[in-house]
Amino acid sequence: MSTRNIELVVPPRPPHFVGDGFRVHNFIPSSFRLTMERMSPFILMDYNSKFYFPPSEEPKGVGVHPHRGFETVTIAYKGKVAHHDSAGGGGVIGEGGVQWMTAASGVLHKEYHEEEFSKKGGEFQMVQLWVNLPAKFKMSAPKYQALNREDMNVHTLENGLGDIEVIAGQYGHTNGSASTFTPMHLFNAKLKEGGEATFNFPKDYNTALLVIEGEIIVNNEEKVPTDHFVLFENNGEDFDIRATENAVVLILSGEPIEEPIAAQGPFVMNTKEELVQAIEDFNLGKFGYLED
Amino acid sequence: MDSHSLANFKKYLTEQWGLPEDSIEQLCDGLVTKKVKKEEYLLRAGEVCALTFFVEKGLLRMYALNEKGKVDILQFAPENWLVSDRGSVYFNEPSNYYIDAIEESTVVLLDQNFMERISQLGHSFRKLNERLLHNHIRHLNQRVKLLLGASAETRYLNFIHLYPDILMRVPQWMVASYLGIAPESLSRVRKDLAKRNFKKN
Repeated sequence: MSTRNIELVVPPRPPHFVGDGFRVHNFIPSSFRLTMERMSPFILMDYNSKFYFPPSEEPKGVGVHPHRGFETVTIAYKGKVAHHDSAGGGGVIGEGGVQWMTAASGVLHKEYHEEEFSKKGGEFQMVQLWVNLPAKFKMSAPKYQALNREDMNVHTLENGLGDIEVIAGQYGHTNGSASTFTPMHLFNAKLKEGGEATFNFPKDYNTALLVIEGEIIVNNEEKVPTDHFVLFENNGEDFDIRATENAVVLILSGEPIEEPIAAQGPFVMNTKEELVQAIEDFNLGKFGYLED
Repeated sequence: MDSHSLANFKKYLTEQWGLPEDSIEQLCDGLVTKKVKKEEYLLRAGEVCALTFFVEKGLLRMYALNEKGKVDILQFAPENWLVSDRGSVYFNEPSNYYIDAIEESTVVLLDQNFMERISQLGHSFRKLNERLLHNHIRHLNQRVKLLLGASAETRYLNFIHLYPDILMRVPQWMVASYLGIAPESLSRVRKDLAKRNFKKN
């Protein structure tokens, strides 16, 4: 057992809008230290920090767009998102819910603020991750895993000072609610002031956290405030966090997928040729059709 | 001058225009690049177009406003494309067109001085320029032919062949405008294609 040290604390970058409904800070992929390869299998992270959207008759969001070659994982902390796709699927991701969409061989989808939420307006806070798929699963069938807050498997910490919601992977004896194609862990640590949690992941797993609420101290030395991202070195297994006030922390750790990455816009494949094919398939309607 | 921002242009000069690599640095010395914000104009109708724009990064469009005041898109210019109102440049007369950025872009500004410097290189640039001009005319004729007589689907299939990734980068109404069809017709074409080509797995 050895301590996993912090490699980098990243403050939120200036936000940009995705469509008109998501005001996000991009953490992955960016700069030389947070490339897709460095954080594989987590190849993108956009974070909509807490932001007030005023009431709107027209739901704000992102119009029809394709994906192929990976999974999108949307974690809703505040607000609600409605989504529809070209395979006829759709639903609402409510507060505390997670939608794990395996785009794989390809879907068209659109994501908007849920109608009632949009009309009332309110605080919106969300994380979207892209999780890469290994070559052998890139062209598998698309699917959804919709996890509501009440379906989430939760590990309660011994001292009663917090819970670990296990979205995927395993914490203690609690298994994740979502199934994954490669080994990874994704948790929401919800700690009360003074609450502590320890995490243990294999050394080679790429590991990071994002402070969603409150402030924490990592490894008893580094204070990390709200909306900051921590990248860990791959030099040890264990790290711990302590909440100096009530806190919510997204923890992610996964076995890297050691394959070449060819990415363009909404497609993440292994080669340039596969990207060209993806674009052509999209243009020719092979992802299906979805009305804007 | 940030030489990195000319990477695509230099590659274009050697690969597309066949200019010898050892002349590139000297040729590009003093060239000006411009960062263009989304919706920023490089040319407006009524102005004389003095420049040709090479898109190093990003996406431009050239359009006219028709009699109803609606946008008719003549050309998209993604990375490695040139865009200009050649007529306005050559005849030194006011342009009928607008050129603006659809995405934040980096553009290399090519003026007559640059063209003259290329001609002086002695690498039969005149011949090359003539070829480019004829290629442009061939393309325009093909475009007029499609606009006059081709079905919406044929126009669309030609479009995705010429501009594979534009559909992902612009709103559908812009593609419809380029194709000279109503947005609803474009939806119908794409719906029909999906019906024929989409296989649920």
